[in-house]
Amino acid sequence: MTFRCVLLGLCAVVASSLGCNTGPDLDEATPIIALPMPNSPLVTIRVGFRVGSVHDPESQKGLNAVTALMMGRGGSTTLSYEELTETLYPWSASLSAQFDKEMTVLIGEVHRDHLEPFIDILSDLIVTPGFDEADFSRNRDFLTNSVVSTLRGSDDEELGKETLNTLLYNGHPYGAPVNGTEEGLASIALDDVRAFHASHYTKANVIVGIAGGYPDDFGERVQREIVAQLPDGGSTATILPAVSSLDGREVLIVDKEAIATAISIGFPMNVTRADDDFYALMVANSYFGEHRTFNGLLMNKMRGQRGLNYGDYSYIENFIQDGGSRLPVSNIPRREQLFSIWIRPVPHHNAHFALRQAIRELEVLVTEGLTETEFEASREFLLNYSKLYVQTTSRRLGYHMDSSVYGTEYFIDEIQRRLPALTVTEVNEAIRRHLQFNDLAIAVVTSEAEVFRDRLVANEPSPPTYNAEVTSEIEAEDLLITSYDLAINPERVQVVPVGQMFRR
Amino acid sequence: MGAIIWTTTAVSVAQDRGDIFPFPVTTFQLENGLQVVGVEYDSPGVVAFYTVVRAGSRNEVEPGFSGYAHFFEHMMFRGTERYPTDAYNAVIKRIGADSNAFTTNDWTAYYIVASSDELETIVDLESDRFKNLRYSEEAFRTEAGAILGEYNLNFSNPVALLQETLNDLAYDAHPYKHTTIGLLDDVQDMPNNYDYSVQFYDRYYRPENSIVVVVGDFDQSALERFAEQYYADWERGDFVPQIPQEPTQTEERTTTINWSNPTLPFLMIGYHVPAFSDDAIDMPALDVFSQLLFSETSPLFRQLYLEEQLVDVIQGGALDSRDAPLFSIIARITDTARIHDVRDAIYEEIERLKTEPVDTAILDSTKSHMRYGFSMGLNSPGQIARTLSHYLQLTEDPQTVNRVYDLYESVSPEDIMMVANTYFSDSNRTVVILTAEEGQ
Repeated sequence: MTFRCVLLGLCAVVASSLGCNTGPDLDEATPIIALPMPNSPLVTIRVGFRVGSVHDPESQKGLNAVTALMMGRGGSTTLSYEELTETLYPWSASLSAQFDKEMTVLIGEVHRDHLEPFIDILSDLIVTPGFDEADFSRNRDFLTNSVVSTLRGSDDEELGKETLNTLLYNGHPYGAPVNGTEEGLASIALDDVRAFHASHYTKANVIVGIAGGYPDDFGERVQREIVAQLPDGGSTATILPAVSSLDGREVLIVDKEAIATAISIGFPMNVTRADDDFYALMVANSYFGEHRTFNGLLMNKMRGQRGLNYGDYSYIENFIQDGGSRLPVSNIPRREQLFSIWIRPVPHHNAHFALRQAIRELEVLVTEGLTETEFEASREFLLNYSKLYVQTTSRRLGYHMDSSVYGTEYFIDEIQRRLPALTVTEVNEAIRRHLQFNDLAIAVVTSEAEVFRDRLVANEPSPPTYNAEVTSEIEAEDLLITSYDLAINPERVQVVPVGQMFRR
Repeated sequence: MGAIIWTTTAVSVAQDRGDIFPFPVTTFQLENGLQVVGVEYDSPGVVAFYTVVRAGSRNEVEPGFSGYAHFFEHMMFRGTERYPTDAYNAVIKRIGADSNAFTTNDWTAYYIVASSDELETIVDLESDRFKNLRYSEEAFRTEAGAILGEYNLNFSNPVALLQETLNDLAYDAHPYKHTTIGLLDDVQDMPNNYDYSVQFYDRYYRPENSIVVVVGDFDQSALERFAEQYYADWERGDFVPQIPQEPTQTEERTTTINWSNPTLPFLMIGYHVPAFSDDAIDMPALDVFSQLLFSETSPLFRQLYLEEQLVDVIQGGALDSRDAPLFSIIARITDTARIHDVRDAIYEEIERLKTEPVDTAILDSTKSHMRYGFSMGLNSPGQIARTLSHYLQLTEDPQTVNRVYDLYESVSPEDIMMVANTYFSDSNRTVVILTAEEGQ
């Protein structure tokens, strides 16, 4: 099977040498990223909009999420939600809404046997959502429950990550959860959703991708029946304000009943896939904390050697795992990115030590960089592993769309092109340019939060407790970690009861 | 040394019959009992390599040793003499593999998805650790910390506590009484049980208890050559686990538990239902029954989720299992005062399905949903390998998947009423309600 990547559109579209890269803002007609696979029985369509929670009004955090769900889990003016599910059910077709800070995408997957009626349904949902009162109530309540029940009470790891987001982006449009806040969601009325849809889900903001075994004229049909029917409206691209600087090592501790302590650490980093240094940092990050593999130094030293917890990873951009895979989800591009470390729940008695170890390892990375051998091994891994990012049609399409948003060549090709040209010196220079260890946001979810705060502020030693004897090398290193100066800024330490998180 | 003792290829047969599994399957077996299943699939340059061990938490029959199938899955990454942990990881890193493992009630799977060019490397690596695993007691005790960490992250979610409570209450004797992660006391005691872990490996990590599944862009003759070269000296075992039989439940069991953090209330209900079979109608009829009860088009879903909005999650069904599982129902309820209303609505719908034959159009729509859903999921080498492995661990027969989907097609309205009446009685029911502690 071969894959051909073409652009469809009513205007002349200039394809790059790879035939797949264009910006989303051409003015005459929106180009459609197309990956025809004639032998495939499946068709995937992704209708993305450069719209996200950054567009939520200050008092209505969650407005974009509700709007997205009115398309992804609501009816249209033609079919009620009940009728819609009745129609899709025998086809086992899926239709979902994925929303993030700066992009929302409606994802449809259908067997080609049912493509014809499916596209009519998708078009109606996106262009003329039903805005039914019961759909609205259900979707808004679902989002509210996801914050006040699930996030606060049922998932300490996600709570830790969202707490890091709150601390990093305080006062910034990225600051609220993409699902919204308790009070923000409560203040949203159905008319607000209608108005938001009309002003933001427009031709100027759309980017469309199709892939699979569709007929030759499918792209034109999508252009005609979806894109051309969207409201004209101008681009609602926002200017993002600068992210506030961190003042040393700042800590936000969420106080709740917890079986173990969840920790996330990060700082803003203004590097995206559009920057040369991103690819150098990709190698550095793979060495330091590749997601859920034993390639990462953090994973090896914290879990492998010490058995502190289930896993320890790092990231150079917003990362959401795609379902049960260990690969990143696509279509969550952001203009502002972050470097982050995720320490999975650690028994309370070792949490202070784990936090120290992760930060100390970051300091070592920044000050010492990678050796030639470490660089070569991580680069080789990424060159092979990145080919697995796109095993399914839908994922491949998503990555093409992301590349379009970032204004780059196809991401996987960029990796294949750029990594072989890198040197260890370039990687270590990129580390020193963009990574640092002094100004950090530290999010902690734990029981007895005030005790933990006092220990942090007092910089108390934190000797670890292990199940097994460790080597003399590890013992010696632990002595250094135990007394490592965390240098928490005492003016920037907060303890917040979980019930007060994500209120407004 | 073991030569291949039989080979079979179901290519034209599958296509002629219109079987649900659309790809040619070639199977061969070594003298030591290892079965190797190959599916050549159009995934240029990519191959998925699964090793299925037919042991899971079902095999944890001794008291105090729950969670060892899962623990052992972790230990399989702790190296051999030829490939100590660091060397194993270095090879996985060099080839850029997506490599991991998972454990269920009935089986444990190890997988590598990587470049087809590395097939021999993969066979070498995987066969070595299945034949020659060596780990120290220190490594074992250290890994126990990672297991506790996994337990901890799971149990920040009330559903883990609900599931653990339901299984414990519903079963008296069978190991399904505990969940795969194990009971907390046992998990905390794991560092002290190195010898048991070695025994677990010795009992179950044997060729006659394992199946290798390879899917993707590879050459079948090369696979056969590699399998003979690397697996033939894997020594056959003879352990036969004595899995306790679960006595028939004779009266309803109920309990209420608290969650010490904010949460909406949950309701979980379990009914004992039969083990997987690819020739009896009960299990396929139960799968259709679960769709009739809980799919987005079902009357109950519409009542509770769409109209009254009393639940924001409701689902149910039974896992394909080697021994009799629970048909489990879970609902997250939006109003604590209405928990019993939701429970009663579920009971009423079950009662209705006992006496009212399902409309044939609805039945046809359900079967279509299941058939298309299955086919659309076969979209990558990894997914195909995982799907086929699931059925192979149940019966060791690659044709099982086709037989089961044939059975789905034959499910009748009478079959639905039969399973509803046979298995959904009050006395066969266990109910757990979880609510937030007062003040949360």
